[in-house]
Amino acid sequence: MSEIALSALPDLSGVAVRQQSAAKRILKRLTPFLFVAPALILVLFWVYRPLVQTFGLSIQMWNMNPNVEPVNVGLQNFQYIFTHPDFFQAVWNTFLYILLMLPFSVILPMAIAIATNRLSSRAKNIYRAIFFLPMIMPPVACSAVWRWLMHPINGLFNHLLTSMGVVEEGVRFLSDENWVLLSIVLIAGWKMIGFSTLMFSAGLTGIDPSYYEAASVDGHKKWRQTLTITLPLLSPTIMLMLMMSVLMTAQWTFAYIDVLTQGGPAGASTNVYYLLWTYGFKNFNSGLSSAAAVVFFIGFGILALIFTRINRKVAFYDN
Amino acid sequence: MAELTISKRQIHWQNGLKHLLLILLCVFAIFPIYWMVISSFKGQTEIFNNSLLPSSFSADNYAYALEQVDILGMTVNTFFMAISQAVLQLATAIMAAYALTRWKFPGSRVIYTLFALTWLVPIQATMIPNYTTLVNMGFRDSIVGVIIPNMASAFAILSLYPAFKSFPKALIEAGMMDKMSAPGVLFKLILPNIKSSVVSLGILLFINSWNEYFWPAMIVSDQGQATLQIGLRSFMSAELTSWGPLMAAAVLASLPILILYLLLQKQVIQSFVKWGIK
Repeated sequence: MSEIALSALPDLSGVAVRQQSAAKRILKRLTPFLFVAPALILVLFWVYRPLVQTFGLSIQMWNMNPNVEPVNVGLQNFQYIFTHPDFFQAVWNTFLYILLMLPFSVILPMAIAIATNRLSSRAKNIYRAIFFLPMIMPPVACSAVWRWLMHPINGLFNHLLTSMGVVEEGVRFLSDENWVLLSIVLIAGWKMIGFSTLMFSAGLTGIDPSYYEAASVDGHKKWRQTLTITLPLLSPTIMLMLMMSVLMTAQWTFAYIDVLTQGGPAGASTNVYYLLWTYGFKNFNSGLSSAAAVVFFIGFGILALIFTRINRKVAFYDN
Repeated sequence: MAELTISKRQIHWQNGLKHLLLILLCVFAIFPIYWMVISSFKGQTEIFNNSLLPSSFSADNYAYALEQVDILGMTVNTFFMAISQAVLQLATAIMAAYALTRWKFPGSRVIYTLFALTWLVPIQATMIPNYTTLVNMGFRDSIVGVIIPNMASAFAILSLYPAFKSFPKALIEAGMMDKMSAPGVLFKLILPNIKSSVVSLGILLFINSWNEYFWPAMIVSDQGQATLQIGLRSFMSAELTSWGPLMAAAVLASLPILILYLLLQKQVIQSFVKWGIK
């Protein structure tokens, strides 16, 4: 009985298709759009529309008061940011942030991952669970404990430093302009290092062990294997983490800057994105904020383009 | 034979070094969190003595923190925000990834590119127009105002895309033979098969949303609608050096995430390594 029903099916559906009304055909055409529409509309409305508006605001002067009409000022906002030192300070700081972040996001994690590769033990999972933990911690909770650890008078770090006689007076980690940037990097780096190590470990497990066996048979030393096998095969991970660090460090440090230093003292810990925030929501000058946003958007866009170009040339994929 | 024992000893020695290296990394990673937790249990007399273990566990700091800040209310707000965002982002991403992988339609490549390029747009480059839009909509000081601009995540779409792409086309065709509708194929055929990917992405989206700082900091300043991150920040500036209660509040703000991690630690790690970070 069921066999008969099955064999009858194709015929029936054929009839149905021929009798499909125009409305149904249109609905069928529309189906993909209906599925993609919610995400597409939201992304257009909350990402691309405001991006275009930011370009528009960059040539206007406006205090963000809805009762006040923005005034066109041409390139005046750009002229202002390029002639004032706070812009260059933010760019220079961002460069320092990126540079100092690399040990935590690329160099140390890569070294640790290579050094501990193929450690076959159950302990490995426990290590991972522990050193990954900072990654998922809420940033404000982390800021709270780090602010205490770094407190000039009763923080643990200064307690240790003074009792060991390294310093006489507590270091003002978060309010001394020579220390503040390093301190923020340490916090953001603490958050990243475990995650990055895992990323590099994951990259390493993808490497076929037979390469090393062949190299060992040929009598190649360990360090030479690292140089000629590990690093080239790890290059996609290296490039990925490098690109992430360059493009995202200003983002990763944002919450700590806002909670712990507000960019100070005297702008010593600000970065490009914090500058946009300061222009916009502290000085209520949407023109300056938008003009700087346009500059940084284009700047990071060019960097991303360069990275994808290099990536295509340098990264070695083991196909 | 002699050579063999030497190399064995060498391996032991090397393994010892590997363990040492990883233990050092663990100590670095765990210490601030450990310090936060034990300090939260230290009494007022003990808080400044820098001991690694409190002599007795006191709940005073928790009592004080709970009295000063509406942590329970903020926890409810944060749960509401994080679950809504994770669910909505998953839903919109599943639909979009399904459409983009199942059909070739005019504009599908452009749409994919539009999603892919969003990661180049930093949130600070869109904050002023979005902020004024939300204020005009009347969402200032409201959790809903935090959720609305985050209902779709291009990151989630791009993360799910490969899972959908690798789903066998033959199975979809078989489903169509059975007269399955487009949503039917999605819900009855594809989703049950890529459940683990969807769940692990959901965990990641939940954690990201729970920890989100920037957008809530801009929209919700009102205490009644504050999330834990924002409430903790105002507690920090109000109680400049009451370290004990501050640590207690920080523990409470992280607790749901820590419990989630304790229960699903393998999945959490896996989803971060698999999908990366925003």
